Amino acid sequence: MSMAKEITIALAGNPNSGKTTVFNNLTGARQHVGNWPGVTVEKKEGTCRYQGYTIKVVDLPGVYSLTAYSLDEVIARNFVVEERPDAVVDVVDASNLERNLYLAVQLLEVGAPLIIALNMMDQAESRGYQIDVSQLSYLLGVPVVPMEANRSSGIQELLQEIVKMADGEVQTRGFRLDYGREVEEEIAKMQELISRDEELSRKYSLRWLAIKLLEADEEVVKRLGMKQG
Amino acid sequence: MNREEILEAQEKSLAHLRSVYREDAETVIADARYGFISGLIKETLKKPAVERRTISDSIDKVLVNRGLGLFIFLAILFGVFQLTFTVSEPLMGWIDDGFGWLADEAATISPEWLGSFIGDGVFGGVGSVLMFVPPIFLLFLALAFLEDCGYLARAAFVMDRLMHRIGLHGRSFIPLVLGFGCNVPAIMATRTIENPKDRLTTILIIPFMSCGARLPIYILFAGAFFTAYRGLVVFSMYAIGVILAVIMALVLRKTLLKGPSGHFVMELPPYRLPTLTGIIMHTWERGREFLLRAGTIIFAVVVFVWLLDYTGALEPIGKAIAPIFSPLGFGQWQAAVALIFGVLAKEVVVGTFGTLFAGAEGLGDLGDVVGAELAWTPLIAFAFMAFCLIYVPCVAAIAIMRRETNSWRWPAFTAGYTIFLGWIVAMLIYQIGRLFTG
Repeated sequence: MSMAKEITIALAGNPNSGKTTVFNNLTGARQHVGNWPGVTVEKKEGTCRYQGYTIKVVDLPGVYSLTAYSLDEVIARNFVVEERPDAVVDVVDASNLERNLYLAVQLLEVGAPLIIALNMMDQAESRGYQIDVSQLSYLLGVPVVPMEANRSSGIQELLQEIVKMADGEVQTRGFRLDYGREVEEEIAKMQELISRDEELSRKYSLRWLAIKLLEADEEVVKRLGMKQG
Repeated sequence: MNREEILEAQEKSLAHLRSVYREDAETVIADARYGFISGLIKETLKKPAVERRTISDSIDKVLVNRGLGLFIFLAILFGVFQLTFTVSEPLMGWIDDGFGWLADEAATISPEWLGSFIGDGVFGGVGSVLMFVPPIFLLFLALAFLEDCGYLARAAFVMDRLMHRIGLHGRSFIPLVLGFGCNVPAIMATRTIENPKDRLTTILIIPFMSCGARLPIYILFAGAFFTAYRGLVVFSMYAIGVILAVIMALVLRKTLLKGPSGHFVMELPPYRLPTLTGIIMHTWERGREFLLRAGTIIFAVVVFVWLLDYTGALEPIGKAIAPIFSPLGFGQWQAAVALIFGVLAKEVVVGTFGTLFAGAEGLGDLGDVVGAELAWTPLIAFAFMAFCLIYVPCVAAIAIMRRETNSWRWPAFTAGYTIFLGWIVAMLIYQIGRLFTG
């Protein structure tokens, strides 16, 4: 008997991206429903065995963005930032690529170990869309797995990428979006100040926190103030 | 000290960026992200030169049409209810017969108290609730289908303009429709509403959405008192709920929850043929709740009611409270008892009647038995149904309200005013109705 390795992954994605179908495909009947700590938002978890790994899959609420405007977004974000899952799978609707990538970009900014599950490839194709998957993967610097979850196609490939990611075999290129000179200058200033705070720099990606502060993110501001005691 | 410094520096940076861009940094950052993505799209996605009008777009031409859309929505909703009732009717008959037979068999068990317990208490009480498994599961199934195929989002879009008139917007609409299934997940579904006041208003009016647990009450009495018009009577209960919800939303928005409502672009996700597993899972997730409740809380309450009844303690309790309901027409102690225990879960109203009257004539046509024993007229039955619709959300809904609003204030407020409102409405129905029926 070899030791079963346990990994935790989070499943993110826009509403209607087929996230639930992917979750069901991954976990089958091994699901249970609980609550997110402190709030009554339903938390779905399931497990999945693959190549000797026990993969715990946490289904995040379906969101379009990672701001602090709704409870769902805060929950999704806090899990990724604070629980640091071994991999974050963002289910992206290939037939609505542009809108869905907004969440992916924000997950990359958090510094999440991201895998993009490019779902609903059939629908994209039926509209005559041609997606250059390897180019997308190259530009974002993360694995992209084309899928049709409603036909269970692509699940094996996704599992493979998850295991690779958890084992640290995926070289993710640090993602950095250029916000323009003026904003970048302010980001640098904030980053410098944050880096002096030991707790903050241990817990968060400095750049992410700096950007969030410039977005005047209520939740982040609240947390900074709170810890002051 | 450092944290304060950070926040001070943040203020300065924000002010600086605002002076440079004449916009909040938040907007500038979001624009940069969109810019990045549109560049990314140019390099990775090739669309056909002339984009084919998708099937989705063509369907939307009709379903999201300004005038037609609302009409179609109402027709679909009415169709769902009709389908739910006609398909489930024979199934309910079988379950009813089954439990009736079991109750009769159990009644012969000795000693007598055990026979009464199993026959009246267990099979009479719980059986009268379980009978409603078919319509409730069918309703959940229909809601799951409408949600999964993308139609509910269209309905929300169509309703957006109307919702603005009552100070809410389309995003509040889906939780409200889900409330027809069960108020508890509906209240939870409000968390996608960004504006806190919009969200709170929506939570407070959800209890007026007739949930699946109230359906047994309607079916029971509509079937017994309004044979030919029972469909219409059940539908009118839903309509009364919706009208009250609209009125309450208007009132709340003008008084306790003043303020502008949020603006946002309504999403129109593409239509999808829902997967069978997806629908079954969603139906099961919600329907399981009903079965669980029948097995736990409803069973416990019904047993408790049987025990009180068997020992003779129930009648005095009921009689003490019954006068409150006299002006509403149903001032009998049995009705009072059913309503008290109905606070725990509304199916219990039916379960309590089931236990109280199972001894009389078996389970068959419980509604007729109640009507005969309590000498109810159709008018009283209608007032009773209306009261059941309005008075106090069930315990589970109150608990979820507390957790979602983080205080006892709103659930206590809701419980209080709904009892009052229910009493007024039922009283008006009965008193005004009496003028016409003599």
